[in-house]
Order: sequence, then C-alpha cells, then structure tokens
Amino acid sequence: MLTLDYSWLADPVYQHWLLRGTLTTLELAFASSGIAIVIGLFGALALTLRIAWLDAFVELFVEIFRNTPPLLQMLFFYFTLSTIGLSVTDPRTGLSMPLLSAFSCALISLSLFGGALCIEAFRSGLESLPRAVTEAARSLGYTRWERFRRIEMPIASRICLPALTNIMTNQFKTTSQASVITVPELMYYAGQIYNDTFRTAEVMILVLFIYVTLVSLLSWGMSLVERALAFPGYGKGH
Amino acid sequence: MKTAIVTFASTLLVTLGISAASADTLSDVKSKGTLTIGVKSDYPPYGFLNDKGEIVGFEVDLGKYIAKDILGPEGKVELVPVVASNRIEFLNSGRIDLVLATLGVTAERGKVIDFSEYYVSAPGPSVLAPAAFKPATWEELKGLTLCGIQGSYFNKRLGEAYGINLVNFKTQPEAYRALKDNRCVGFAFDDMTLRKKLEDDADWKDYKIAVEPYEYIPQAAGIRKDDAAFLDAVNKAITKAEAEGKLIEWETTYGMPHSKYIAERSKKAAEKLKL
Repeated sequence: MLTLDYSWLADPVYQHWLLRGTLTTLELAFASSGIAIVIGLFGALALTLRIAWLDAFVELFVEIFRNTPPLLQMLFFYFTLSTIGLSVTDPRTGLSMPLLSAFSCALISLSLFGGALCIEAFRSGLESLPRAVTEAARSLGYTRWERFRRIEMPIASRICLPALTNIMTNQFKTTSQASVITVPELMYYAGQIYNDTFRTAEVMILVLFIYVTLVSLLSWGMSLVERALAFPGYGKGH
Repeated sequence: MKTAIVTFASTLLVTLGISAASADTLSDVKSKGTLTIGVKSDYPPYGFLNDKGEIVGFEVDLGKYIAKDILGPEGKVELVPVVASNRIEFLNSGRIDLVLATLGVTAERGKVIDFSEYYVSAPGPSVLAPAAFKPATWEELKGLTLCGIQGSYFNKRLGEAYGINLVNFKTQPEAYRALKDNRCVGFAFDDMTLRKKLEDDADWKDYKIAVEPYEYIPQAAGIRKDDAAFLDAVNKAITKAEAEGKLIEWETTYGMPHSKYIAERSKKAAEKLKL
C-alpha cells in the first residue's frame, strides 16, 4: 500500500518553486494563446484574399508548424538558432550569448504551433458560413473588407469558439514540454522537487491537480465567453 | 468540471494501484538466477559504453562481482542504464534490484532507500567554465547563471547556500551544448565527470575546472528499504571485494587515481575478514 507523504510541502523553497512554476506556466500559456489567435486571424484573413502566393505561404506555414512536434520546435529554436549566429554580446560579461532566452524560444514555438492550429480553426469557421449570408451582404453593398469584418468574422469566430477552447487547453498542457529547455514552469519545478524528495507520486498528484484546476477554470471562462457572444442560431445559450 | 474530477480521481486510483515491490529481493534474485542492476552508461569511469557499445566501468565490475558472490559462477547480470533522476524510482518500483550508479549517500535519499557499505568517496560538484572565467570560489558565483543536471543531489544547496541561478537539463549533452552556446557561464556537476571531459575531449581544451568541489561524499549501492537479507548479502560481497583488493585493481583498469579512501577500506576489510 502506498502512503502519501506531503510533509515536503512545508518547505518554503518548494512552496516558492511551485508558485513560480505555476505563474510561468500561466504566462507562457496566455501569452502564446494570445499570439496564436492573432496569427490565426491574420492567416485566415490572408486566405480569404485569394492571392496565390499568399495562400501558398499560409499553407506552408500551417504544414510546418502543425505537423512537427512542439518539443522538437523548442529544441530547434533553443539550440540551433543560437548556433547559426543569432546572438548578442552581454555587456556585463563581454561574452557573446544567445539572443533568444529559453522562455522566448518556448513562447515563439508555442505561438507558431498554436497559430497554425488557429488558422485552421478560423478557416473552418469561415468556410461553414452559409453562402446566402455572404450573398446577402454583397447585395447590401458591403465591400470585401467590411463583409469580412462585420459579417463573416463575427459569425465565423462564434462557430469556431469550441475549437479555440480546445487549442487553448492544448496550449496550456504543451507548456509542460518547455521544461526540457529549462524554462522554469510547473513541470520543471515538479521534477526538481521529486528529485530532491523522492516523493514522485505525491508531487505528480499535486501537479496534476494544479493543471486540472487551471485548465478547468480556462474552459469554464471560455464557455462564459461563448454564452456572452451567443446570438440566435449560433453557439451556446440560444 | 465534473469530467475533470473524474479524471483526477481515476488517475489517483491508478497511482495507488501500483503495488510495492517484494521485500525479499535475495530469494527473488536467487530463484531468477539473475541480478538486475541499474548502472550509469554515460559516466566514466564508473559506468560507460566502450568501443563495442558494451557497458563497462568500475561500478559495473563491482556489480558483476556482487552477482557472482550471491548467485555463484553461473549467476547472470542484467545491466539497466539509469540516470540520476530515475534511478531511485527504478529501484523502488522494482525495475531493478540494486543501484550502482554513482549514488552519493545523502540524508534525503536515506529516507526512501537503504545504502550498502560505502565503497568510494567521491568529490561533490565542481564548475566547468571557459579558461578566461574569473570567479574561483563558490561564494563568487552568487547571482550567476550556471548549467546543471536535474536530479543532482546538490542542486538545492547551490541555489540556497550559494545563491546560484541553476538551469537544469535532463541529460549532459544538452548542458554541454548550452555551456558552449554561453547560455550559462559554467556547468556545475560531479567533479569526476567534468575532469574526464576535459581530459578526453579536445573540443574542451579552452575550458577549465574553475571552482573546486566543496565536499567529498561516500558513494554506496542503493537497496530497497527493509530488505535485510539482501542488504546483508550485498555488504558481504562488497567487503570481500575490498579485502581481495579488487577495487584497487579496478581503479587501475579504469585509469582512476588511486584513492587513499579505497586503500584504507581495503586494509580494514582484509583485517575484518581474517578475524
């Protein structure tokens, strides 16, 4: 029988690590989700313009960043970009050091990965718009940009909200992979703590609980957004 | 929210379902005819891969000696490569019977496993840094960013007592790469490994041991708690190996400097066994 021992939680060092780790996880998750949504909006907008080279570019972007593991992307940004010369001189030590910190590398790769998924989510929203809606807007004299901004995107974004929630929760969990490139987030400190205390099961259970709580709060928040934005025929609460 | 709670509860049950490994390793090992040992495969001279890809080293030879002593000449040894961060888990979950993997004796570890007789006194951490690196004492490293490895026993102390900002990688190649990329000003790790790196690898000729170890700690085999018969058998084997001068022999085999600690233990063991 396994007995759970949480006495290590009384150590202020471990409390501090857990708190700092949770904050870093939150920062990374929200910042990368925000950038991913912006990338998604611009990507989807670019696709509606029907310019051949732009389409090709966006598709290539999606292929690359959606189809490769985020872990690999992080290691690539962390170890490769600095080796090929993206570095700056540290004024304090006079040494040349990598331009991108571990946190920036994780943020960039998570944003691009999430961005690729968001482009696809927004595209699916736009493509599911009834043809009649677009035609009605056009007959009312809306220009292409006005149509996108006032008619298509407002409806499409409501349609793809559940998909966005999926992407954001996924984003949240993927931040844990940043521990490999030493970003001090929750999993990184969890590893530190159970390596010190050997209370692996206890640490894992606690960390699991923190992730479940945070991600549940996130999806609850997103369902509130969905309700608030809902209008007849689209989304929850009608 | 409901699904979340269900997920959490079921994960908890799975975790609790893992049964504790048997507490009579000696009879298990004897009935299997095989001793399963967790060793390092990236840590010369204690455990490393030779040109043929076989795991060899000081602790590997010790492990083979222990197996023969317990199981007789027909006894088999299964070597499982472990790293600092998983070796105690591997032992306590029953994947291996014995840890012989540069395991330093610390009080924290003593709470979850038992230690055998100590067989080596190993230097603690030192710091590998570029030749031009100025700080030479641990105190001077305050506030600097050093690379490290997850699971090293001294990590918490380096942060707390010396105010060093450690960024810890899973394995050594990543830490060495990060040091070369100047992501950290030095690499704080086991002195023995860092010295071997300087000796054996021409890529590191512009680097030095910048800060010397602040302590030596004994190294021992790790055994599951309350496994008295097995602990006794392992201790007898280690003492016998010491008395026969085997550890001094292995120091020569693996190009280690002959340590006073091992010589003294060998003398004491010989006296003890003659009684």
